[in-house]
Amino acid sequence: MSIVDEQQRPAATSRTVVPVALDTVGVVSAAGVGLGPLADALRRGGADGGQPPATGEAESYPPLTLRPADFPAADLLGTKGLNRLTRAEQLGMAACTLALEPLSDRSGTGVVLGSAVGSSGGVGRFTRDTFVQERPYLVNPSAFPGTLMNAAAGRTAIRHGLTDANATVSGGPLASLHALRFARNTLVAGHARRLLTGGVEELSPQSAWVWYRAGSLAPRVALGEGAAVFALRTVPDGATGVNPLAHVMAVETGFAAGGPLAVARRLTICVRDAIARSGLGAADIAVVAPGAAGRRGWAAVEERALGAALDGPGHRHQLRVQEVLGETHGASVALQVAAVVARWHDPHLDTRGERAALVTSVGPDGSAGCAVLLHPHAGA
Amino acid sequence: MSDEASAAGRRVVVTGLGAVSSLGLGARAVTSAIRAGRSGIGPIGQFDGTGFERSLAGEVRGFHAEMHLRGTDPARWGRSGRFAAAAARMAVTDAGANPAALSAGRTASCFGTTNGESQVLEELTQQWVDDGLAALDPVLAGRGDAGRIAAAVSAELDLSGESVTLGTACAAGNYAIGYGFDLVRTGEADAALCGGADASNRATHAGFHRLGALAADVPRPFDEHRDGIVTAEGAAALLLEPLDTALARGARIYAEVLGYGMTCDARHMTNPDAASIAECIRRAHDHAGIKPGDVDYICAHGTGTKANDSTETAAVREVFTDGPPPISSIKSMLGHTMGAAAGFGALVCCAALSEGFLPPSATLREVDPALGPGLDCVQGRARATRPRIVQNHGFAFGGNNAVTIFGEFTA
Repeated sequence: MSIVDEQQRPAATSRTVVPVALDTVGVVSAAGVGLGPLADALRRGGADGGQPPATGEAESYPPLTLRPADFPAADLLGTKGLNRLTRAEQLGMAACTLALEPLSDRSGTGVVLGSAVGSSGGVGRFTRDTFVQERPYLVNPSAFPGTLMNAAAGRTAIRHGLTDANATVSGGPLASLHALRFARNTLVAGHARRLLTGGVEELSPQSAWVWYRAGSLAPRVALGEGAAVFALRTVPDGATGVNPLAHVMAVETGFAAGGPLAVARRLTICVRDAIARSGLGAADIAVVAPGAAGRRGWAAVEERALGAALDGPGHRHQLRVQEVLGETHGASVALQVAAVVARWHDPHLDTRGERAALVTSVGPDGSAGCAVLLHPHAGA
Repeated sequence: MSDEASAAGRRVVVTGLGAVSSLGLGARAVTSAIRAGRSGIGPIGQFDGTGFERSLAGEVRGFHAEMHLRGTDPARWGRSGRFAAAAARMAVTDAGANPAALSAGRTASCFGTTNGESQVLEELTQQWVDDGLAALDPVLAGRGDAGRIAAAVSAELDLSGESVTLGTACAAGNYAIGYGFDLVRTGEADAALCGGADASNRATHAGFHRLGALAADVPRPFDEHRDGIVTAEGAAALLLEPLDTALARGARIYAEVLGYGMTCDARHMTNPDAASIAECIRRAHDHAGIKPGDVDYICAHGTGTKANDSTETAAVREVFTDGPPPISSIKSMLGHTMGAAAGFGALVCCAALSEGFLPPSATLREVDPALGPGLDCVQGRARATRPRIVQNHGFAFGGNNAVTIFGEFTA
């Protein structure tokens, strides 16, 4: 028997979505820079990670396994002004810069980034100063813009002169999924020709202690960070000189206030709707990249929903991104999407038979959602 | 509506308004205070103001979430989320909409914010300062995410549609309304609750204080002797429905959403750019299918800083070559409610279209001559007149601009 009460909620609009081309990827994570190292780490089942961001006198990390992003910020961004950027800004800007690099025509481009709160370390240190400085307003004025959630997207736009729609989207573990859906809808509605879309999350002592004290990490999962950004455009928008790495089909998100079972039901509905709106069937889903494995108690909720929506586990490849990169919260869905693309472009694998992939996530507040990606050889 | 426009999707109307503000609770309280030119500015009470040289704010007083929230436990959410959920509940009640129908359909929650759950983050920081990071309250530690603002609305109204929080700083309310408009217009959602929310907090106050951007007493947008902003808090919510649905249930229609536009300055994190704002206005006009001459009133971003006024006025003059329509700033009364600001602007625009008035720049004494001749800033009190198309501005640090356009609904 299905766990979905079909009478409870109406189906989504049944209209098939128009595909959105995913032309380029910029990714920085514990696996390193780019799709190649990510594909290697996924095959190996682990990544070493870089050095954790420095701490101040008042901060240290809790006893958690950390999986910091491994990226040469100065090489990617230059040294000028680098130390004035928050870690979130460095990560987000690096991923956007990498995604933009292969594109010759940058006109009509905007930025849409998902993030839980922006720079957790930046906000924490700035707020701390209001308590510990001689006067509460004797904060560092140049640090103020970096405390805003939209700092990474704004600074990226400044660096590359990207004058179109520029949005920052929150939503915990679904932040990047919301960003993906926001970007899809915004492109299709004609508000931009291309959107650098993805998510960013920094590791900081402040965020690490929040995870530790809330006890919300799943056992044996590291706390990670990173950013993944994709250049998305609507397909009819013509030749860009770039062959898409994948197509983003339906992105469906929803909410259920009634606890984990209700969230599972909502995710089941989202997955069914997304597959149908992508013009596909459950049998076309060859790869699943689930997102809840890093959060204590939620993997079972997600698995239950997937089992119901896909009629059992089938012979699908499971991309276990959190095992490899750690829990990356607001960046996690973006890194799951990057993992799918990395797999599909891994020279050591033949994935041409994999028509489509499903990326899913659930959040502790009640949000659930998924995205369907189409293999570049499947044609959109 | 032209055939071309109907091909672009469904017509979308605003049928419910809700507000939690320094000028009162509920859209009616806010609207009547604004028409009278009253001020919501007073002494800081939401955080310890000791040591600040500027100690006024536009804070919400006498708000008891438990009196407004029926579908969710207020204790679960931070102050921003409680504001948003209460404003959304008020908007649904104001619309006379059936909550069960909204809950059963695909109703989206789209809210903008600058600082998210800033009071939660501030409280965690206080714990860090007092006892170290190892002493963070485990329950509070799980409540800092900004996305919980839209989630609080979805939980309160038991909504099943998407629940998205836009962190696009002080333009975020317009981003949320624009996105909600597209969702309803294209059929991605059956209805949308949208707006913005932010809570007063010491980090925001300190940041603007340090930048020298805080006013000594009240904000005076467009005034020759203005001296800055006043930080403020609150939430505004709009219920957006397809026109057909609204007509079928005999709803009162405040206004029609005609379109919106977004641009990014891509020049400076804190200094606004006139050319980019002008382009944003043009995009909003194009999207709404209107010409500059059609606009009867501009609800300005109007923060109360010289940089804002000169840039915003220059942008308006660039687009409105035949002379700008009346332009005023409700921040003169509310203060700068950050991520809620454009939401309040939209709410007041809808009330203005529906009731027939222009909101005032209440604190304005002498229009700054540097802004050029012929600028009508609606001084003092509201003006009784019936605008047909109005334009609502939202600009932000990070160079994010968004402009929404509302029209009088005529059957």
